Amino acid sequence: MAENRTVIQEKSLSDDLLHEMTSKLQKIVGEERVSVKEIDRLSTCRDFWPMASIWFMEGRFPSVPDLIVWPENTEEVSAIMALANEKGVPVTPYGEGSGTLGGSIALRGGIVLDMKKMNRVKKLDGENQMVTVEPGLNGSLYEEYLNRQGYTGGHFPQSIRCSSVGGWLACRAAGQFSTRYGKIEDMLVSLEAVLADGTVIKGRDVPRTSTGPRLDHFLLGSEGTLGIITEATLTIWPYPEKRAMSSFAFDTMDVALEAIRKIMRTGARPAVVRLYDYVETSYHFPEAEEAEDRCMLIFLIEGNEKIVDAENDICTSLAREHGGVDCGEEPVKHWLERRFNVSLASKMFRQGAVLDTIEVTSNWHNAFEIYKNMQAAMIGIEGVALASGHYSHVYPEGACLYITTMGTPPDEDKEAFYRRLWNVAMEACLSQGGAISHHHGVGLHRGQWMESEHGEGLNALRSIKKALDPKGIINPGKLGMEEAEKWPK
Amino acid sequence: MAEIDLKNLLNCALCANMCRCECPVTQVFSREAVSPAGKARLAYLLLEGKLDWTEDNYAALSTCVGCKGCETLCPFPELELDRELKKIRVEGASRGFNLQDLDPYRANLKNYSSPYGMKQDIPKVQKGDGEIVFFSGCTSLANNPNSIKATLSLLDKAGVSYQTINEDCCGYPAEIWGEPELARQLADENCKRLVESGASCLVTNCPECWLTFKKKYAEWGVELPVNVKDSTTYLLELIESGKLQPKEVEGINTLTYHDPCIWARVEENIEAPRQLLAQIPGVELDEAEPAGANSRCCGGGQMFQLTFPQEAEAIALRRLQEFPGASALVTTCPFCRESLKIEGNEVLELVELLDMACK
Repeated sequence: MAENRTVIQEKSLSDDLLHEMTSKLQKIVGEERVSVKEIDRLSTCRDFWPMASIWFMEGRFPSVPDLIVWPENTEEVSAIMALANEKGVPVTPYGEGSGTLGGSIALRGGIVLDMKKMNRVKKLDGENQMVTVEPGLNGSLYEEYLNRQGYTGGHFPQSIRCSSVGGWLACRAAGQFSTRYGKIEDMLVSLEAVLADGTVIKGRDVPRTSTGPRLDHFLLGSEGTLGIITEATLTIWPYPEKRAMSSFAFDTMDVALEAIRKIMRTGARPAVVRLYDYVETSYHFPEAEEAEDRCMLIFLIEGNEKIVDAENDICTSLAREHGGVDCGEEPVKHWLERRFNVSLASKMFRQGAVLDTIEVTSNWHNAFEIYKNMQAAMIGIEGVALASGHYSHVYPEGACLYITTMGTPPDEDKEAFYRRLWNVAMEACLSQGGAISHHHGVGLHRGQWMESEHGEGLNALRSIKKALDPKGIINPGKLGMEEAEKWPK
Repeated sequence: MAEIDLKNLLNCALCANMCRCECPVTQVFSREAVSPAGKARLAYLLLEGKLDWTEDNYAALSTCVGCKGCETLCPFPELELDRELKKIRVEGASRGFNLQDLDPYRANLKNYSSPYGMKQDIPKVQKGDGEIVFFSGCTSLANNPNSIKATLSLLDKAGVSYQTINEDCCGYPAEIWGEPELARQLADENCKRLVESGASCLVTNCPECWLTFKKKYAEWGVELPVNVKDSTTYLLELIESGKLQPKEVEGINTLTYHDPCIWARVEENIEAPRQLLAQIPGVELDEAEPAGANSRCCGGGQMFQLTFPQEAEAIALRRLQEFPGASALVTTCPFCRESLKIEGNEVLELVELLDMACK
């Protein structure tokens, strides 16, 4: 054993139970799709949560699963869950590990259910504009498949290349083109999922129903705490025939926000609407001279040619009416080229800094105030070098604010620094009436603010969890489903 | 051997695996441990002494087809993950780790100078002064001697002054299997024979041989006494100078050309094969999706079919799904041909098609 290495939690199952589970799981899926190897346990014990990067740099693996299983179909998932439920063994579903809040960390060990082998496209239904896929399908390959068939899924999260369809659904993801196509919950037609006891539920592939609450839709955003998603039917769109791009620089963010609000009132739905503060404008668009010391607003509109022309006219007219200075197409093209680049995080963590992004939702009336409040609170923390922001998704009712923050802890205690940052950010958001997350989800880290977010509703949610998963085996410790869950130490 | 680029390896380790969609290994293994960032994390922990070397760790670090698909999406332009992994495998090999499945091939390489065992006889040819050495390569000799025959036939038709030599393996397998000393020995032996040949240029059908001669020998400190050309570029020159005059090939109307990874992303040699194909009358190119610089691996990169045969076949099946179903499938790499001719597929090397067109 290397001297520097620290595995905080080696095993959570007793040797006898681990042996029994391994043997029984191998009977369900075959020997090759069960692993108790250290290498597999260590590589699935983390996601893209910054704390995981901090622990990695310190050579720490605070929470390690006991074994990994790769199911290939719903029947196998059902049998695995029935077995785990009988034995009370935790099961943490794992997609592509791109989550930013520790949602796929196997907090209490047990089984990591790696869904990547369930990655097939099961049915393309062009007539009804739907596609049915398995949850382990990589986002980029999903979109590539649809493009080849003449469609788009319309869902382009920054993580598209390293996230899965199941992950999108599990955390109510949003893509960069969400103003036109919606968030993933707007695209969902139906789900198939396996509950804690192995029961398989499946929704109807119809556009809308009036037959009581849709249990399958209830699993949206449940982050693997209520069931394992095994199949999804999603809305798709004919590949857009036209795309229009424009950008405008504004003297202040609040004026630009007002222009966007007016645009949304017209019914126009540009696919991309992004408004950057001064800092991010200078960082992302250094070549746009007109945008110097201003705030950049970019539009990308796509779809049917006539609709695109009309929406483009609405967006550009209203932007100009509100004082926007025309910066042309180039900034949008620049954004398109760079939009999946997340290299900054690696560089910062490598150099000992801490970086994170925090996305919250606001209404129009408090959109700018929340930005100012959160930024001021975070900059006030000693060691914080940056707390910049942009509005990344807009709706008739409001917008998503996306803050990027980084800094170096003054006392080398990165974990404490990270906690301080988040504490003030969440407090600043909640005090202004914002919602604590727009699309990254809750995972492990945000669970501590779920009570503030939901109030009494959280108890109702916990009761439902208890009813569906009485032994608490599915992704335990996440989504604030349990009282004051602590980080692994 | 150059030092490990720890800075960029760590950049990769701390990335969210943004390239995983273009890593065929990740897609078929479905294991986090073999994803690009997964391997970088593992490598970093091993190099930093935070994790012990084990057979499993060494095997995971060996799961790279060297296709450079990850580099098409990588935000760290200085990082060549496949190269870093090779260096780390050398470190692992120095600690006594290797892939046991490779033992017979490694023994063959040491005993017969070919990973495939006793080499088939290389047709000994000397035409004119023998200015050109045609280098067959072990994989063509073992798997597709017809491509060698076709190339020699084309050189004959064009009236080229050429020769063959008693060749050893170029050294490519030794390098990717973490045996740099053996690679250098093979390189020295080949160089000695090339000096003796008096030739000025080496032509080969094999991208791996080309890469090794053209780029690796210099890195290994071996001075190559000849220029190196890939056969596609060379044969295109022969066509353009009127020395070869291709005609229609019966039964082949449309074809799909599969770009080998080395030509797609190391040398960016994607135009020459298409220009050559355009010289064959009556043939229409029906491109794969993706093709050219974004082509995807056939599963044969870094001789993956020897080390991980099941997964190599799964990668090939993925690639086959990206072909449109033309009347012929053509490539310019003996490894690609071998990988893609599963499930009864007929795959031609470009030299074989051209030879048919020049009958």
